[in-house]
Amino acid sequence: MSVSGLKREQRKYIAFLLAPAILVILVFTTVPAVTTLSYAFFKWEGFQRGGFAGLANFQRLFEYPFKDQFLMALRHNVLVFIAIMILQTSFGLLIAYSLFQLKRGQRFFRTVTFLPVIFSLVVVGYMWQVMLDPYYGPINMIINDLGFESFAKPWLGSTSTALPTLVFINLWRWVGFPAIIFLAGLNAINQEYLEAARIDGATEGQIFRKIMFPLLAPSMTIITILTFIGAFEWFDLPFVLGGSNGNPAGATDTLALMFYRLSFGSVDSNANEVGVGSALGVFIFVIVGLGAAVGQHLLRKREVEQ
Amino acid sequence: MKIASRRFRGLVAAAVAVSAIAVPVITALPASANTELTFWSWRTEDKAFYEGQVAKFEAKNPGIKVKFTPYLNTDYNAIVSTALTAGKGPDIIQMRPYGGMANLSDAGNFLALTTKDVPALGKLQAGILAGAQGYLDKKQYGYPYAISAMGIFYNPDMLAMAGVKALPTNWDQLMNAFKKVKAAGMLPLGNAGGNGPALEQLHASVGPTFYGGTQFFNDVAAGKKTFTDKAYVASLKAVKDLVPYMPAGFEGIDYNTARGLFANEKAAFYIGGNYELGYFRSLNPSLQAGWIPPVAKVPGAKKYVSTWADGAYAINAKTANKAAALKFLNFLASKDFGQALVDEIAFIPTAPYVKITDPVVKAINSGRSSLGTPFLNVVGFRYATPTSSNILQPGFQKLITGAITPEQLAKDVQTAVASWYAPQKGKS
Repeated sequence: MSVSGLKREQRKYIAFLLAPAILVILVFTTVPAVTTLSYAFFKWEGFQRGGFAGLANFQRLFEYPFKDQFLMALRHNVLVFIAIMILQTSFGLLIAYSLFQLKRGQRFFRTVTFLPVIFSLVVVGYMWQVMLDPYYGPINMIINDLGFESFAKPWLGSTSTALPTLVFINLWRWVGFPAIIFLAGLNAINQEYLEAARIDGATEGQIFRKIMFPLLAPSMTIITILTFIGAFEWFDLPFVLGGSNGNPAGATDTLALMFYRLSFGSVDSNANEVGVGSALGVFIFVIVGLGAAVGQHLLRKREVEQ
Repeated sequence: MKIASRRFRGLVAAAVAVSAIAVPVITALPASANTELTFWSWRTEDKAFYEGQVAKFEAKNPGIKVKFTPYLNTDYNAIVSTALTAGKGPDIIQMRPYGGMANLSDAGNFLALTTKDVPALGKLQAGILAGAQGYLDKKQYGYPYAISAMGIFYNPDMLAMAGVKALPTNWDQLMNAFKKVKAAGMLPLGNAGGNGPALEQLHASVGPTFYGGTQFFNDVAAGKKTFTDKAYVASLKAVKDLVPYMPAGFEGIDYNTARGLFANEKAAFYIGGNYELGYFRSLNPSLQAGWIPPVAKVPGAKKYVSTWADGAYAINAKTANKAAALKFLNFLASKDFGQALVDEIAFIPTAPYVKITDPVVKAINSGRSSLGTPFLNVVGFRYATPTSSNILQPGFQKLITGAITPEQLAKDVQTAVASWYAPQKGKS
């Protein structure tokens, strides 16, 4: 038996085992993505494809009536990214650090922190909808009972509070994710660095700032990139709580919701715009792809070797 | 290595053998004796009703099973469009009226129906049939099953408790009734702002008397008047004037909670469509609801009841069970089904030979007959985007919170409609 023979057999095995996964990715990801790209260059009458449209669909995205919706949705995505990045990352880091310092029960609290991540989003959405109901919801009842009536808002119904409320629910659901990644990062730090610093008289604050935080850079890179992708593809939670129109009055609209609405129509009109929707899909793909690539490149540079 | 190689070959051979055996077995299985039809709807609240009717159909038609699946009304169009585009979707589809699904009809997704296929179509009026026709080819793609009409529901017991002796017939009297109910410590109006379509329906109820009903409809349809007309602006303002009588936190109260407030006798009035009655009674069977047509803007002014053909039943053009689907559609167009529609869920049937016995439905039907005017947005301006509804639904949510003025909203509607509706092009 030759070495090359072994390699050939191994390659066959690898190819055989990879084939189903590659097929699934090709059929469900690559083909739809490429098809969407092609859709953006055609005219559409409902769901019937017409002639070649060139860049007209991309141009229409920046004209009435799509321009305002597009800019508003893009603004929401940017705000959501900033808010999630600040809140989720800092709370995640705080939780991870607390769990790291915990001598007993770390496993239990780690599970508790991560639990909301595995809940069904529909269940999470419905639960918060009930909790935040302005008429029957327990949150406003508690606020009222405490005597702060003016703070009992229609959280999901007011254009000024709906998006921040969604960000809060997202925080509640997802904070366990960065926490676990940071915790893994903290556990991977060589204990000798920390012990050496302690012997040298460094305070816990100094150790965190000067040793732990820089060494957590790889975790930060992963979280930033994933948060960026998640924020610009944000669809599920706004859809569950605000429907495809970004209720109320478009206050929770995002690029992904707009894409869905344009491509498949909405309740008040089914006169959909597959071409413009596909152009928007391409735009989202470019933002996410470029942003993730540039972000990764920049963030990787500041990572330090242990 | 030989072992590994043999294993690999064995694995491939096993996979090929399994598929070689399984594929012919699966394809050779005899077709089930039962034909299963799938039926989609946006009426989640009518699930029990439809399942009951399906059971009756199945009892009379052994061999055909029908699976009824309702979806959330706000997502229904998207779900149906997605499925039909993928060449799938159910056999029977509850179809939105007028422009609501006309693009799907025009794209050839529904089976064109004739009176030969569905004889009951021949008994419907032309205006009702129009609710389920293609925008371009004007072919009949659905059997319109119900007529909807907007009006004001009231709770007589709560009005008596509040000392409201006479039912309001004009705007001032309505406001006075609201004030009395509020002064008595009760909630005057169940309507809220969490759902854009419900606000649009609220406007379709109270608005026509302000903008001038059918005459205005004809004028904007012909391009003689625009949506920036003072009368139309006044109709938008009327919606805002109702805000002080809505429940606390009205901006965030969803459709079901709002309807539930009236159904559970926490609100004295609810302004909306006749189709709410079935929902009210399903929540509270002992509810004694009354109905009045929307009030006149001033004493002596004309009252209007907005009306339209609200939905139809259509068949998927790609159904593999055409004969069974037509059989079921004819059942949905039958007298017995029409009678059940009115008796059980208080819909106003399109079929003229169905008897209405329910006093509230009778009142609505009589109001619709004598004061009917087309629902402006649904009948006239949903055939291209942005529809008037696209602008009004979120627009009303902004209007009632003071984020936009009635004048601005009217201007936005005009800009939207003028962007695609030929008689309004270039007008502001």
